[in-house]
Amino acid sequence: MLNDYFSSGKNKEPLKPKSKDELPHSLLGISYTEWRDAKKKNHKWRNIRWGFLLFMNLLFVVSFTFDLSVLEGSLSGSRLIGFYLMDPFNALQLLAISSTTGYIGHLTMNFWIGLITIFLFWFIFGGRGYCSWMCPYHFLSELAEKVHLYLVKKKKIRERTYNIGLKLVFFIGFLLLAVLTRNLVFEDLNMVGIVSKAMIYGPSLLLLWVLAMLLFEAFVSRRFWCRYVCPIGTTWSFVGKLSPVAIKFEHDKCGYCLECQKVCLVPHELWFVQRGKATQDVHFVGSDCTRCGLCVDVCPGNALNYAVKGASALV
Amino acid sequence: MEKKDSGLNRRNFLKSGLVATGALALAGAGAFMLDRNTAQARVRPDFLRPPGAINEKDFIYGCIKCGLCVQICPVQAIKLAKAGEGVAFGTPYINPRIQACDFSCDALQCVETCPTAVLNFKPFKEAGLAAVEKATQEAGADFAKVNPFEVQKVAMKQIVRMGKARVNTETCLAHHGLGFKGVSRGTDFRGIYRAPESADASASPLAEKQFDREVCNLCITECPIGPKAIVQEPSRSNGNLVPKVLDGCTGCGVCVMVCPTRETSIIVEPS
Repeated sequence: MLNDYFSSGKNKEPLKPKSKDELPHSLLGISYTEWRDAKKKNHKWRNIRWGFLLFMNLLFVVSFTFDLSVLEGSLSGSRLIGFYLMDPFNALQLLAISSTTGYIGHLTMNFWIGLITIFLFWFIFGGRGYCSWMCPYHFLSELAEKVHLYLVKKKKIRERTYNIGLKLVFFIGFLLLAVLTRNLVFEDLNMVGIVSKAMIYGPSLLLLWVLAMLLFEAFVSRRFWCRYVCPIGTTWSFVGKLSPVAIKFEHDKCGYCLECQKVCLVPHELWFVQRGKATQDVHFVGSDCTRCGLCVDVCPGNALNYAVKGASALV
Repeated sequence: MEKKDSGLNRRNFLKSGLVATGALALAGAGAFMLDRNTAQARVRPDFLRPPGAINEKDFIYGCIKCGLCVQICPVQAIKLAKAGEGVAFGTPYINPRIQACDFSCDALQCVETCPTAVLNFKPFKEAGLAAVEKATQEAGADFAKVNPFEVQKVAMKQIVRMGKARVNTETCLAHHGLGFKGVSRGTDFRGIYRAPESADASASPLAEKQFDREVCNLCITECPIGPKAIVQEPSRSNGNLVPKVLDGCTGCGVCVMVCPTRETSIIVEPS
């Protein structure tokens, strides 16, 4: 049972693919395209998520503007009704530098509490859930993605993808840079921090850097920053490895249409949706998944859903 | 087929990994150069670190740029540095000519709120507790009359050292034996502070205050620290009554904000 919780099942022998008669559209007695396009206009989870994301980010702004003391600070470090919350990669950089300089002993109890709290919170709610449910750059990037997909559809540009391992290079690289230069180098390039602080404290010239990245994502490589660069996302994906909240895949409802991979930020994590790839009747999406719910919205057979890992075992 | 795929993948990874490493090296070199070139001139009279700031070398990485100090300051003296400040982007500073720290929060709240202790509350806490203990001992049987909060807040603000004020004798009105009458910085000046004689707990606009002084002494009378920080004394050269800054100066910059000359005649030199 424990083994099921930790393992992706990727190295097991694949299940036998379903025959045409076993596919959901045949069972319903409708045509494949009719079945596939049934949920094209469904945006339930996306709307809930955008609502939450905008609400939380506006809460920061409103808290400061009207001095409400509800959610103070910014996404680089904040206080929710008095409880401190730290940005994890900011904190990791600081810990890396301060353990070489000895400053680590001066950090306050509030810092440690804030760091542990945020790790526990996002451990429960699915690691990179932070990305799609909280990060304001993710929201902007989703809009740029719409432009990108339109341009690809019109054959104006060609899709460019890179190796997903790049994000590890950036994660380790930015940590090393912090120690070598004794500066929080990433914080000056951090899309989350720049956008969040621009909203709360007023715009800065660094928004041009955000704009440049959005243009790059719109015209060159889809979701480049979130997919390959952002070390905050990478930190959360480590945390999310063992998260109970995840997207659950049920092979018996799948029609191999691949609509989910088309909308996904990290399609490699949905490897089991292709014909003949699934090795188990049930798979959970891996730790790069941001729990954004786009696949849940689009899946015509409802084979993908939010779920709590191990819940059935507990019951 | 599979082998060919993974081979392509590896080559793809090496190529993009190399580009990524190059970009990282560029970012690192940029940050290093920016830091080296701006570290010396960073903290200056119009860019003071908030109270309790530790040395700049540790401050620059210890500050996570969250802005909690900005949010808690009741007079909004603390601002976050703009992109022009290089690697110091997003770190807090005070420009006292625009809005000085007037201690009207009473308990150095920016210092207390800082999660990484680059605004270090420890010495303030110790000084406050020591002062309360001393006051209670001195009061003896009357110890119940001691208001620990009052004692504590005075002791805490007195050990702030954001810098030390220095008077420009060339432009200072008092050095020329001149007085001052009217509103100090014009009626559209937005700075606020709690004047020492004010009974009100919160700060009020400097623009609403009328002064009438035979010899200008605004920096002395408006100082939140008082005679431990700045006093009036006859100048050695011509006997005019002029301000003299003492070692008790905290560098809060209220004198800088209230100085009525076009360019301020008193500045805070960072410590």
